[in-house]
Amino acid sequence: MSIRAFFNSIREGFQGMLRHPLVTLASISTILLMLLIMSMFIIFSADARHIMKNVGQQPPIEVYMKLNGSEEERAAITKYLSEDKKQVLFFEAATPEQNYNQFKTNLGSSSSILDDFDYNTYLPYTYRVQLVKPSFAGDVVMHLEAFPGVNKVMQEQQVMIFLTKAMNWVNVGTASAFAVLFLISLFIISNMVRISVYSRATEISIMKYIGATNAYIRLPFVVEGAMVGLISAVCAWGITYLAYSKIFTMLMSKVDPGSFYAILPMHSLSTLVLLVCAFSGVLIGAFGSGVSVRKYIQV
Amino acid sequence: MIRFDNVHKTYKTGTDALRGVSFKVEDGEFLFIIGKSGSGKSTIIKLITREEKPTQGFVFVDRFPISKMQRSLIPVLRRHIGMIFQDFRLIESKNVFENIAFAGELVGMPRKKLIQTVDIVLSVVGLRNKAAAMPQELSGGEQQRVAIARAMVNDPKLILADEPTGNLDPQTSESIMALLEEINRNGTTVVICTHDSNLVDRMKKRVIEIEAGRIIRDDMDSGYTVCAVAPHAEGGKS
Repeated sequence: MSIRAFFNSIREGFQGMLRHPLVTLASISTILLMLLIMSMFIIFSADARHIMKNVGQQPPIEVYMKLNGSEEERAAITKYLSEDKKQVLFFEAATPEQNYNQFKTNLGSSSSILDDFDYNTYLPYTYRVQLVKPSFAGDVVMHLEAFPGVNKVMQEQQVMIFLTKAMNWVNVGTASAFAVLFLISLFIISNMVRISVYSRATEISIMKYIGATNAYIRLPFVVEGAMVGLISAVCAWGITYLAYSKIFTMLMSKVDPGSFYAILPMHSLSTLVLLVCAFSGVLIGAFGSGVSVRKYIQV
Repeated sequence: MIRFDNVHKTYKTGTDALRGVSFKVEDGEFLFIIGKSGSGKSTIIKLITREEKPTQGFVFVDRFPISKMQRSLIPVLRRHIGMIFQDFRLIESKNVFENIAFAGELVGMPRKKLIQTVDIVLSVVGLRNKAAAMPQELSGGEQQRVAIARAMVNDPKLILADEPTGNLDPQTSESIMALLEEINRNGTTVVICTHDSNLVDRMKKRVIEIEAGRIIRDDMDSGYTVCAVAPHAEGGKS
């Protein structure tokens, strides 16, 4: 195909959109609806993953050292926790005195009963550890328990297991929803484009007899489908942006953005939603059109 | 230019369209293929344009081996053939100029040369003043002239016409045939499938008659029926 023929095909693709405005409008509306649902799923799953990640880091692992533990043993643990940045998000060491003061604070007005308490004898050094992912808990606990100065490692095992499973389900659910919606969109757009192709069936057969290649005939329809997909994607992104920004403002007006149940703001999701919508829209439109026209070019 | 060697064609429905057809068309020949509806004329056209493949035997068109040709070469073959149809088959959304230029665009003809070539072929078919007209604004004869111009634009070695005068009145048919004869005189091979007995009788060209998928007659300088053969044309090929 010559360069001029290629650009002619592109131009034909744009003209095709205007040739059947109602079909184009129907195609845009259909893909737009699908992309809106897809965007909702993307945002829901991104928020769910964000919350679960935060929740997963909330119940920390508590490490209790032996009462007669040495300085070297504590230094070894501090070194391990500092170096394992892949699994350990944050850790905090507490001396017996700090634990004593925390204990007193928790007791509030009754704290005076601890006034004569010898914390150096009865309270151990402790570590509070937050993980990057809940699924790392097993590995980190196993390592910590192996250190000689460690008396006990406490963790919310059930919560960790639940969070790991829940996060997997959200990921699988999102991927499945994406695949199903993608197929439905593809089916609908290919039927929509079929109408456009059918109305040009004679023209296509003439082109074939004159010596047009399949690619030459298919390209305008693919361009038309891709453009319809892109327009739908931009519209879907715009609607999602406005709607989610409004929802975010409503829900998060009295919530600390640093809290573990805070959802993500639109600006941090915007690029992801736009890219997924644009990619899906263009792919659905182009592929759906390419498939529809196939039947008519076998002359 | 065209060679059929013992060609059989059986469609998926079981219809035997061609049963051992063999003939040869030399470069620059003018040939009529005649026969009743369903005799196999259209199948011959479909085999030449590689719309269909022979079930048995070999078909060669300008060195293209139709029976073994790759699908990707079909457009290349068709660019060597100028096709003319009974129903003209012009693209309704394009004007006369665009309909003709489209065939040149497919082969990547430079823009300047394309404009000149379209202008020339429009002059040949006598429609230079109708370049901007849409097909639906033209008469049947004019539409067929546009189709001939489109067939000529790539300077094909072969023009295939399937009932080119089927939708035209006798007078217009005469002028269309005169045009095709003129094109043939310039060296282009012309193959016409037709029912128009008057034209075949008048033009006295080579005639291949098909009946039930077999060639029953292949005569030079012949007419639509055997009785129409002029006494000097008895040296037929078959």
